[in-house]
Amino acid sequence: MSIGSIRPLLSALCLLGLASPLPARADETCQSPYLPRLVGQEDFIYVWTLGIEGVGDGSDKLVTVGANPEREGYGKVVSSVSVGGRHEAHHGGPTDDRRHLWVGGLDDSSIFIFDVASDPARPKLVRTLTDFPQKTGGVVGPHGFYALPGRMLISALSNAKDGGGRTALVEYNHDGEFIRTIWMPEDASYGYDARIKPELNRMLTSSFTGKNNYMRKLPDLMGDAEAMKNFGSTMVVWDYHARKPLQVLKVPGAPLEIRWALGNDHHYAFTAAALTSKLIGVFRKPDGSFEAVEIADIGDPSKTPLPVDISLSSDDKFLFVDTFMDGKVRVFDVSQPRAPKVVYEQKIGPQLNMVSQSWDGKRLYFTTSLLANWDGVGGDDAQFLKAFGWDGKQLTPRFEIDFRKQQLGRPHIMNFGQKGLYKTQGQPGGEAG
Amino acid sequence: MIRQVSLTLLAAGSLAASAGEAPPLYELPAAGSYALPPIDRVSEHVLLGSDGKPAPLLGLAHGRFAIVAFVYLGCHDAAGCPLLLAALQATDRRLAASPELRGRVRLVTVSFDPARDGPAEMASLRRALAPRGEWLFFTSRDEAELRPVLEDFGQDAVRELAREGAGESALRHVAKVFLVDGEGRIRNVYGSGFLDANLLVRDLETLLGEHSAAR
Repeated sequence: MSIGSIRPLLSALCLLGLASPLPARADETCQSPYLPRLVGQEDFIYVWTLGIEGVGDGSDKLVTVGANPEREGYGKVVSSVSVGGRHEAHHGGPTDDRRHLWVGGLDDSSIFIFDVASDPARPKLVRTLTDFPQKTGGVVGPHGFYALPGRMLISALSNAKDGGGRTALVEYNHDGEFIRTIWMPEDASYGYDARIKPELNRMLTSSFTGKNNYMRKLPDLMGDAEAMKNFGSTMVVWDYHARKPLQVLKVPGAPLEIRWALGNDHHYAFTAAALTSKLIGVFRKPDGSFEAVEIADIGDPSKTPLPVDISLSSDDKFLFVDTFMDGKVRVFDVSQPRAPKVVYEQKIGPQLNMVSQSWDGKRLYFTTSLLANWDGVGGDDAQFLKAFGWDGKQLTPRFEIDFRKQQLGRPHIMNFGQKGLYKTQGQPGGEAG
Repeated sequence: MIRQVSLTLLAAGSLAASAGEAPPLYELPAAGSYALPPIDRVSEHVLLGSDGKPAPLLGLAHGRFAIVAFVYLGCHDAAGCPLLLAALQATDRRLAASPELRGRVRLVTVSFDPARDGPAEMASLRRALAPRGEWLFFTSRDEAELRPVLEDFGQDAVRELAREGAGESALRHVAKVFLVDGEGRIRNVYGSGFLDANLLVRDLETLLGEHSAAR
């Protein structure tokens, strides 16, 4: 036992004196707080990509892009693993130890599990789950993948019975075995995102639409007034530990991505309502309940810019908001969370969708593609990943990959990888990275 | 050096106990008002106890429970092993004060680092934490003996390369605590972001109620 090992225990003394229950460990911006934080320079971006008929092999694939300028392959496709077929690739997330990446298909509800630890530059598909609707009692459209300790929380979009928006939260263990289904409450039955603030024991969920809508051609859908009524207009506040709904918040216009503020004393979250183009703050009140408040317009709501993904910086200062229809990112200063101000705006490119940022906030990555049947409505079906630097005032281009030209498909969600997470030296219980 | 570790952990333990009295930002759900479905299943394992003798880790039996955490004494993460130990110590105190749970729960602490944390070090840790109930401390002969236990629990551990001049290498791991029932089923896993002795005890009360109802 060295003197060095005493130091952390002394640090613990300081920490223990501060508060209990124990404080949450935050992660790089939008990931589950239960993950080991990926700090410093990311080495890879794992891009879950929709296949396009006639483009490359036409299949959905996990594309690994080099992101470290100090390493070979920077700004290039390092590897690509096709899963065979098109499943409406959408979202995904790592397990609690970041050794595996789970990604889902919204069409046939397939779930693909990749080993990203054995060789982080070349993820390997190790398991495919094809019986999600059967195992879960009729849930379809596995959307969000959010690591809990020892489990994966999957927020879904629809159900097998009628293809509508009634849906559920589902839990699986790391072996890919079903644990339980928790249906959304009757008065807020739609789902989309699920995010947890552990130190408050609260989970927030948001709401989108069912398979009948998200698999439909967008022009058809928009011309069907009845179908357009079938979008989510609620968020639910849950007792996370008990997995019990406590409160339904009315948030019209399909509230999508949820971002809890990361500061331990910041008891609020943000979301963007896609159809109304409103930025929403969800604030904890003194009595412990929550309120949803419209805090800003996103662009000009009358032009339906369609806000899609949002990303909050780790210091809770900047919120990046992507809008699909005009291809812009707007950066809100949310230091005063009830009075956000747009401090920067830039066109990134057509049909902008996802945004991911590094923990230090210095690098941002953007991709296109919303849904296979919703892309290309404006005639320009560009598909790209673009990397930028951010200095707190403006974005500076770093690299760009054209996913069409490279015969890859439609890039959707991005997760980061880092070789150092798995660097080993005769470790117990793991393989060399 | 063992004595220094013990004194530090003793201090940590007493601070943790006092910190446990701070009001949380939420109310715990009532015991029995929620479900803890089985997450996974683990087997019994035999490792080296702090007396240097092989002993079963879990002591599985119907109506009994085990709370298992993997730590190592050289942990450099203030939000890792020291916090787990503090939470286990607070849990030990609460269990000792609970007529319903006393004698039904085994706390288990296992070292990730058999090369440095031998039985003597684990015995020292035990003395420092001064268990009031059944709290056993284990290590293993070597990493090969430990590996199947880690794999069974799904507990990661990766040895980081030592930085030049930084002395011993560290173990990177996700801090987790496992609640195991008498049938070897993992009923909950806690991360350091949501680890509270009151919560552990509430879950044990919930499972005890389930056990009583089934009798």
